[in-house]
Amino acid sequence: MAKEMIAMLLAGGQGSRLYALTQKLAKPAVPFGGKYRIIDFPLSNCVNSGIDTVGILTQYQPLVLNEYIGNGQPWDLDRLHGGVHVLPPYQQATGSDWYKGTANAIYQNISFIERYNPQYVIILSGDQICKQDYSDFLRFHKEKGAEFSVAVMEVPWDEASRFGLMVTDENDKITEFQEKPKNPKSNLASMGIYIFNWDILKKYLIEDEADPNSENDFGNNIIPNLLRDGRNMYAYHFNGYWKDVGTISSLWEANMEVLDPEHSGINLFDDKWKIYSRNSGMTGHRITADAVVENSMITDGCRVSGTVKHSILFAGVQVEAGAVVEDAVVMGGTIIKAGAVVQHCIVAENVVIGENAVVGAMPSDGEKGVATIGSGVYIGDNAKIGPNAMVNNNVKGGEEQW
Amino acid sequence: MVNSNADALGIIFPNSYDSLVPELVSERLMASIPFASRYRMVDFILSSMVNCGIGNVSIIVRKNYHSLMDHLGSGREWDLTRKNGGLNIVPPFAEKSVTVYNGRVEALASILGFLRSQKEKYVVMSDADIAVNFDFNAMIDAHIESGADVTVAYLEEEIPASAMAAHTEDKNLYYTFDMEDGWVKGLKINPKDTGIQNFSMNIYIVGREFLIEQISNAYAHGYIYFERDILAPQLDTLKIRAFRFDGYVAQINDMKSYFDENMKLLKDENLDALFSTNPIYTKIRDDNPTRYIAGAKVTNIMAADGCVIEGEVENSVLFRGVKIAKGAKVKNCILMQDTVVESGATLEYVITDKNVTVTAGKELKGTDTFPVFVAKHQKV
Repeated sequence: MAKEMIAMLLAGGQGSRLYALTQKLAKPAVPFGGKYRIIDFPLSNCVNSGIDTVGILTQYQPLVLNEYIGNGQPWDLDRLHGGVHVLPPYQQATGSDWYKGTANAIYQNISFIERYNPQYVIILSGDQICKQDYSDFLRFHKEKGAEFSVAVMEVPWDEASRFGLMVTDENDKITEFQEKPKNPKSNLASMGIYIFNWDILKKYLIEDEADPNSENDFGNNIIPNLLRDGRNMYAYHFNGYWKDVGTISSLWEANMEVLDPEHSGINLFDDKWKIYSRNSGMTGHRITADAVVENSMITDGCRVSGTVKHSILFAGVQVEAGAVVEDAVVMGGTIIKAGAVVQHCIVAENVVIGENAVVGAMPSDGEKGVATIGSGVYIGDNAKIGPNAMVNNNVKGGEEQW
Repeated sequence: MVNSNADALGIIFPNSYDSLVPELVSERLMASIPFASRYRMVDFILSSMVNCGIGNVSIIVRKNYHSLMDHLGSGREWDLTRKNGGLNIVPPFAEKSVTVYNGRVEALASILGFLRSQKEKYVVMSDADIAVNFDFNAMIDAHIESGADVTVAYLEEEIPASAMAAHTEDKNLYYTFDMEDGWVKGLKINPKDTGIQNFSMNIYIVGREFLIEQISNAYAHGYIYFERDILAPQLDTLKIRAFRFDGYVAQINDMKSYFDENMKLLKDENLDALFSTNPIYTKIRDDNPTRYIAGAKVTNIMAADGCVIEGEVENSVLFRGVKIAKGAKVKNCILMQDTVVESGATLEYVITDKNVTVTAGKELKGTDTFPVFVAKHQKV
């Protein structure tokens, strides 16, 4: 049975700029927004858009991601025909190869795509926070009679040179592609989300693979080759919330924006476009008589006896009496002991922050670093972690790290 | 069979004690009464069974069971979507001259064919009026070791006043035992004794073959109740063992106990006692985390996901998706799923059922002994 469109989700990124958070897990598995992981967004978008077949291309630290995806049931992607499939590089008769680039990752899975014989393939990125209706994108692709379409966002002109830019005519037809140019001719930045007609994608993947000088990358190789051949290429304008959470500060910022969906953040409170995730299975959260909670998001299993302001607590976080948590992102299972002060920072999963320890600091004098504590780290009593610190190993009681 | 799987199948009677909480079961049954901010009563016994390796569970429903079917679905959240065993919801089998069952004997008689075709050696039976993290393996081990025909779990406690005072037609409401060396020698039905009693939890373990034999026999005689008609007359000939349970138990006997048992979970030691041994599973709703908007003031509450809180909340239990608007005051309340409290409304000692809306500026006040109850879908 043929599928009209299937999704291929690139989830192999190492996320090296998230350093302390991605030592043990791939970037798409990084927790976000109180009870989600980044990959929940593209997966939920697929299901909400009617896409029931998703291949997830993994390579770096796949363990957590594999377990998290499981059989895909939390996203309703456990299907008789189709569903979600994790696709790591594998041994073939002619040898095995890591995924050399984004295009090579898809190339190595041509046989997976052919099992479903789709008309269209949508290529998604596993490191973006975004709610997008891919069925509307497909409608656009079909209306334009396109062979290739790319979702684009308007960005401020002074930032345009950081992006891959699409130069288009008045019909949204792409005439030129500029990769991080010094002199941008457009402010339409590629979101790294593409729809291809499958026959076209397959042809160009095979051609690209045969080119020994290619980097096997969509942005650097496939798209320029399509342009070279004058293919029907269109830019689909997206103007909802979109954030690439590739850095500590952008990840922190995107989390903080969730606290203010009316103005800045992604709206997670939309019943018509739910974001699904694997459930923690913990009890309702408790806020005790001593606690102060202001402008925060708190989920199952949390126990709050201290002060929590403008922060996000993931499942099972404990904040003991007298502790202060402010402008912080605190991931699942972390314990913040009595008297500790945790501010303007990201604390990963299963961390213990000792009594009266200080982690991070509120911004002052243009200093606005986001302190980051890696998962499973133990911060001793009275220890002090500076606002620019990236902590990956235990810190003994009373020690300082900057 | 591997050790982790108990050689027992489970049977749950979800309608037992419906008559004690008529308001709460007007559109549901005991087993689907919401409890502890994100659960239904049945989740506790069902999860306990699953955690003990009982992977073949039948729920013999009697009436008002649509909400329970919706809650349980295919049993996936309890890991009971199985090829062998799994969750088995048994609805009443309507035939002319056959009415819905009244007691356990009639209920079990309706699944005799099923019981005969199973392969587990033991049968574990329970009602759903108690929230408990129960170790069935310990009880099964005790049952096997003692060589008993029947083992029944009990609590050493006073008979709940509400059970004793219940205004119901039911002549077989609760049971206490006289015991010798752990063997049951006397069985009292609805006694009025004061002081500590051996109070039955109505959790039983019996051999499957033994149960089939007893039920076939009793049903042929037109008997209805397991306790009155099978156990009590055979106290001398059957070996009936009692198994004392010392863990945390929340039992729903009436609206007051429903209120009190929810409120007791605001104490961390109670919450830990009920939840810390093994996980309790429930239906997943995929709500977002609960959001406390600037201006919210909360103290001593338990809340599930999906709530949006902008007003003041004190000493309360909030179920999934409760919205409390700016300027609203909620104190000593239990607000079930998707309750909306509009701005300026004041609630004290109130229990709202699902989807209740309390409109702006309204004031509702009960007392600690008599909380006000607002029925499902009502707009106050």
